[in-house]
Amino acid sequence: MIFIYQIVGAIAGLLAIILAISRFKEGKITIGMLSLWILIWIGVIYVSLDPGATNLFASFVGIGRGLDVVIILGLFGCYYLVFKIYIMIESMEKEITELVREIAFQREDLKEMNNLKVEEKDKNLNKSK
Amino acid sequence: MKFLPKKQKNKVEQLLYKNSKNSANSAFNRNDWNIYVVLPAYNESKTIKKVIEDLKNKNLNLIIIDDGSSDQTFEIARNAIYSINGSIYHHILNRGLGAALKTGIDAALKKNADIIVTFDADGQHHPEDIIPVCKPIIECKADFVIGTRNFEEMPNSKKFGNTAMNWLTQIFYDIHVNDSQSGLRAFNRKAARILDIRSRGYGVSSEIIGEIKNHDLKIGEVPIKTIYTDYSMTKGTNLKVGLKILFKLILNIVRKVLS
Repeated sequence: MIFIYQIVGAIAGLLAIILAISRFKEGKITIGMLSLWILIWIGVIYVSLDPGATNLFASFVGIGRGLDVVIILGLFGCYYLVFKIYIMIESMEKEITELVREIAFQREDLKEMNNLKVEEKDKNLNKSK
Repeated sequence: MKFLPKKQKNKVEQLLYKNSKNSANSAFNRNDWNIYVVLPAYNESKTIKKVIEDLKNKNLNLIIIDDGSSDQTFEIARNAIYSINGSIYHHILNRGLGAALKTGIDAALKKNADIIVTFDADGQHHPEDIIPVCKPIIECKADFVIGTRNFEEMPNSKKFGNTAMNWLTQIFYDIHVNDSQSGLRAFNRKAARILDIRSRGYGVSSEIIGEIKNHDLKIGEVPIKTIYTDYSMTKGTNLKVGLKILFKLILNIVRKVLS
């Protein structure tokens, strides 16, 4: 007998795979990330359709119930993703800082160049007088 | 200049100097050295003008970094610096003390600075302390010098945070200094070029010391005076900032391990 949560899990997994493929086609994720996401979501679909399969894995790793294994793995996955997002944000922050610094340098260089030009003009004016 | 007993810790030579009245006028000629003072400022409109005017008379090159202030800091600094030997760099977004210091140090290196001094814009430092802090570099006794504040005179709220940061610096960077969070520091060109500053916020102070230690450069410490006002008390390292720094230090270790 198939329960509603199994259908919802399988449909969510399928939609997520389609979304990952479309993001790959748009060039927003790499082929490595696409493969990783497809593997993860195939796993979700498989576990949704055959929840008993998790018991096999649970007995293999020594955890009592299959569902516990899924929850523990899910938690580890979430922690990993949060960390990955943190690294991404850090790297973006670094790029923004470099951009802000470059703009500051360019503006000051431009100002100093203009000041030099004004000084040169003044000198030439004084000479011609 | 009298030397206090050397503190030999972690193989880094730490020289403690007694700051005498004559220290600025002794044998060396500081005019032979191209000294740049880097002044990072974020929302310091109340103090920046006085700080710049106090520095004007010292015949030093000034580099001001306005770190995306939302008040009039940039305009006030631009007007104050107009008649003197100085440049002002404007971060269009607030990027933090570490980012502002890096901009200032990079700018000073581009201008062929021999010695780069960092100086807080909240008015807590005495301009008279700049030359004594540069002296160990001029005398080739140190590559990097910290202007060490007197913890006995420090208000308790500040003393707690700064002592905790000294401990954290020792734990995470394996080096003991007497004032890891001091804003008054001096670098020679070699030390400034070698620095790879990654911290954007207040964590930069400990990071700089760690970088100096990693590159086996000589660290000196010179006692300085500090002006504590109600205004300067609201700035700098407090418990919240300390916790943020601790969080960043731990995350950096996790990141290094995972990568």
